[in-house]
Amino acid sequence: MRELFRRLQYLLNRRRLDAELENDMEFHREMAARAGNANFGNTLRLREQAYEAWGWTWLDRLMQDLRFGMRILARSPGFTVVAVLVLAIGVGVNVSAFSLFNMVALKPLPVPDADRLVRLERRSGDQYSSQMSFPSFRFYEQHAHTLSAAMAVLGVPPMEIDGDEQLSSASFVTANYFAELGTRPAWGRLFSVASDGSAKDAPAVVLSYGLWQRRFGSDPGVVGRVIHLNGKPVTIVGVTPFAVASLGAQDPDLWLPMAQQPYLIEHSTVLKEWTNGSVHMWGKLAQGVSANAAGQELLALTNELRKQHPDAVWDNERIQISPGGHLQVMQPQMVRVAEMIGVLALLTLIVACANVGGLITARAVTRQHEIGIRIAIGAGRWRIFRQLCTESLVLGAMGSLAGVGLSWAVLSIVLAETDAPKWLSARPDWRVLLFAVGVTLVATLFFGLMPALQIARQRQQKTFARQILVGLQIAASSVLLIVAALLVHAAQHALYTDPGFGYEHITSIDPQLSQHGYSPVAAANYLNEMENRLRALPGVRAVSLVQLPPLGHVVSNWTTEISGRKVTVYPNWVEPDFFETMGIALRAGRTFRPAEKHAVIVSESFARREWPGQNPLGQTVGEGANRDTVVGVVADAHINALNDDDALEQYWAAQPDNLPNMTVMARAAGEPGAIGPEARAIATSLDASVFPEIRQIRALYRDNQKMIEDVAGIVSLVGLIALSLAAISLVGLVAFVVTQRTKEIAIRIALGGEPMMVLGAVLRQFRWPLIVGMAVGTGLAGFGSSLLRVILYGVSNLDPVSYVAALSLLVLIAVAAIILPALRVLRMDLAATLHYE
Amino acid sequence: MKDREDSLSPAGALPLLILRVLRSESLHGYAIAQRIHLLSREVLAVEEGLLYPTLQKMLRKGWVEAQWGISETSRKVRFYRLTRPGKAHLEKELSSYGRITQAIQEVLRTA
Repeated sequence: MRELFRRLQYLLNRRRLDAELENDMEFHREMAARAGNANFGNTLRLREQAYEAWGWTWLDRLMQDLRFGMRILARSPGFTVVAVLVLAIGVGVNVSAFSLFNMVALKPLPVPDADRLVRLERRSGDQYSSQMSFPSFRFYEQHAHTLSAAMAVLGVPPMEIDGDEQLSSASFVTANYFAELGTRPAWGRLFSVASDGSAKDAPAVVLSYGLWQRRFGSDPGVVGRVIHLNGKPVTIVGVTPFAVASLGAQDPDLWLPMAQQPYLIEHSTVLKEWTNGSVHMWGKLAQGVSANAAGQELLALTNELRKQHPDAVWDNERIQISPGGHLQVMQPQMVRVAEMIGVLALLTLIVACANVGGLITARAVTRQHEIGIRIAIGAGRWRIFRQLCTESLVLGAMGSLAGVGLSWAVLSIVLAETDAPKWLSARPDWRVLLFAVGVTLVATLFFGLMPALQIARQRQQKTFARQILVGLQIAASSVLLIVAALLVHAAQHALYTDPGFGYEHITSIDPQLSQHGYSPVAAANYLNEMENRLRALPGVRAVSLVQLPPLGHVVSNWTTEISGRKVTVYPNWVEPDFFETMGIALRAGRTFRPAEKHAVIVSESFARREWPGQNPLGQTVGEGANRDTVVGVVADAHINALNDDDALEQYWAAQPDNLPNMTVMARAAGEPGAIGPEARAIATSLDASVFPEIRQIRALYRDNQKMIEDVAGIVSLVGLIALSLAAISLVGLVAFVVTQRTKEIAIRIALGGEPMMVLGAVLRQFRWPLIVGMAVGTGLAGFGSSLLRVILYGVSNLDPVSYVAALSLLVLIAVAAIILPALRVLRMDLAATLHYE
Repeated sequence: MKDREDSLSPAGALPLLILRVLRSESLHGYAIAQRIHLLSREVLAVEEGLLYPTLQKMLRKGWVEAQWGISETSRKVRFYRLTRPGKAHLEKELSSYGRITQAIQEVLRTA
């Protein structure tokens, strides 16, 4: 250690110490000369040896190489700029992809102890629920010693502030929510257990920063003001900060204490019912406790809970613990998508590196002279190789810097455009920078190694190297284009396929009567009245009831096996005129009679799978007491699984007990927008304390499709960029090759050769890379696209249309890139060329 | 220089010789060479090509220190001084050197 310190001291004081040494040696020489010993020796060599003793020669050589490398790059600015740009794109795409992944899954929330935050969900065999009942939550909170704290979140339909037209989103949270997350208020105060933990406390509300700006004009005076939510007075106690970090990326306009839920949602018994699963549960592991230990304690508690309240717990239920301290809780299919994105990004990098490698190899020809001289005056091959590698490193570093900058800029724009949480920043953190360094090293190795080896060895295998680089680019571009084509096709399919129900004209009105404590009889009256009044409106064509509305908040399904294949079945409970209202065609049989028991209606696909070739009517589904007879078959309508082509539906007639959970669906004759306010007016007149959630199905549908469009768009962009890079590279290489052999071509044509045949001979070297590259790329794409099953809705991963389209585009561009520069040659003046030496 | 690391060849023993010479007093480079030459009855002649690189190595290892002083010819020159780690290293090497040479002599004498 001390030695290293001495060495560093030497390094920093080199000049002075070297001068001292020289002084010493001069003195020595003087004294020796006086004694008659003219022992001079090679001064310079001596000083070099003395310097070498300190072990810093490697540093000297590196600095030399770096300086030389930069000079060389500066001398050919065209090459440098293009290479850096291409690398910037390759590295930039990868860094962007990783940065996104980092934001979603790796970066902890900016709250204290984010690594101890966990999400708790219910799971048992094939059943799963992300919510649990509030009394169950309380039970776990009180008895779990492995959790230092537990927080519950309850989402509710948007609420009305003081008679506003526009409703505001709201969330109920337990009083310890903000305290556990360490959130500081921007104004006023946030909830605390002491002031907001009990129903007897004064009703308080916390505003989100956005709402405070938009609706309250950023007025600090709002603290202490009383507003009316759905008619109930509450006091504003504070405002959350601009960049608030919340669990599960929530962003409600209004935050309310859980204890006030019965006050604000009149007659609601949600907080007391053991079987009404409605809150999301989060927790914080106690210090030093592992998730496993907590899982075991929770399992024991679950079993204990089952003894006390058997209807609140499933058989074999256990509480699943997942890390909750990141933006998203990672689901398995998200990991798949992340992998796919990673592979696509890597392909882009390959194209970029092969591109730059080709540029370097081409440029090597112009450096033959310089390198030849250096070898002649004694540079070892290893020295040349090392120096070329250093040059590549400089190029790599510049490209990487540009790439990180590019990625930062692009992501900043993306974050600003989308609805991302405000605490996210596109600025690269240490993980992203480390990744960037790693990618740079890999890229530099890839594009720098081969050419350096080549050049240092002065081998004449240039054609083969060129072919490999071209082939690589073609292969990678093929994969990218094919994947892009598949996604575009899937997006088109999703966008233009009839989802099976008339989403354009439907409004969904959800009064959430069960949350307001309505009994089945009361609900029947309310809904009856609402339906009748809606039907009386001129703009309304049909009205019906359904329990799980299309694109609703709750999705329910179960997986079962039919003839050995796993299928997902989506159940629903409906009124008889549901199918007509929704525009779902009746294929066979009839619809329900009101509240018909032991009758089931199935979708076409279900009937086809379960009873292939037979008449589905009269068949039975279910066992024993749950045995139902098929009375009708309807067309497929994936109202809750828009993008799952394999979904199967089953419908049962709504029974009186279902009524408090039903939603009203109204079909408009024309524009559905007008129905909203009318429905609200009807609801207010029926029961002023009920505020139904009214949504236009068409808007929800468009949002869903937009996401698919965006993904397809991005991948297409990346694919086209890769193709452009490959095309440009091809153009360059072909032009280069042809220019090199201009004289040969001129002679052959002058001697009577067919111009096309002569060109063909020169261009033949590009034939195989193109063919092999495309074949390899297609193979890889076919193999890898099975990973895409999860988002290729309705399109097979070997869809011929996409493959043909992608490859056709590739061939078109590649052939154009090869032929066009070559054709230029044919226009040359033969005589002039032959004269020019 | 690498193959001269063992302390049995004259070149490899140079650091040892220098340390021993400096134990008595601090000397400048030329004086060290002179002293060794004299004490070895003019058998060992240390060239500056070997001396100075070796001195640099010893400076790096921390066995000697360089300080400014005035030579006998009234010239400013660096004097090399033995440090404490250098002294410790010297003791260690001396005992090991003594053991090895004795062992070699035994074999040569009796075998």
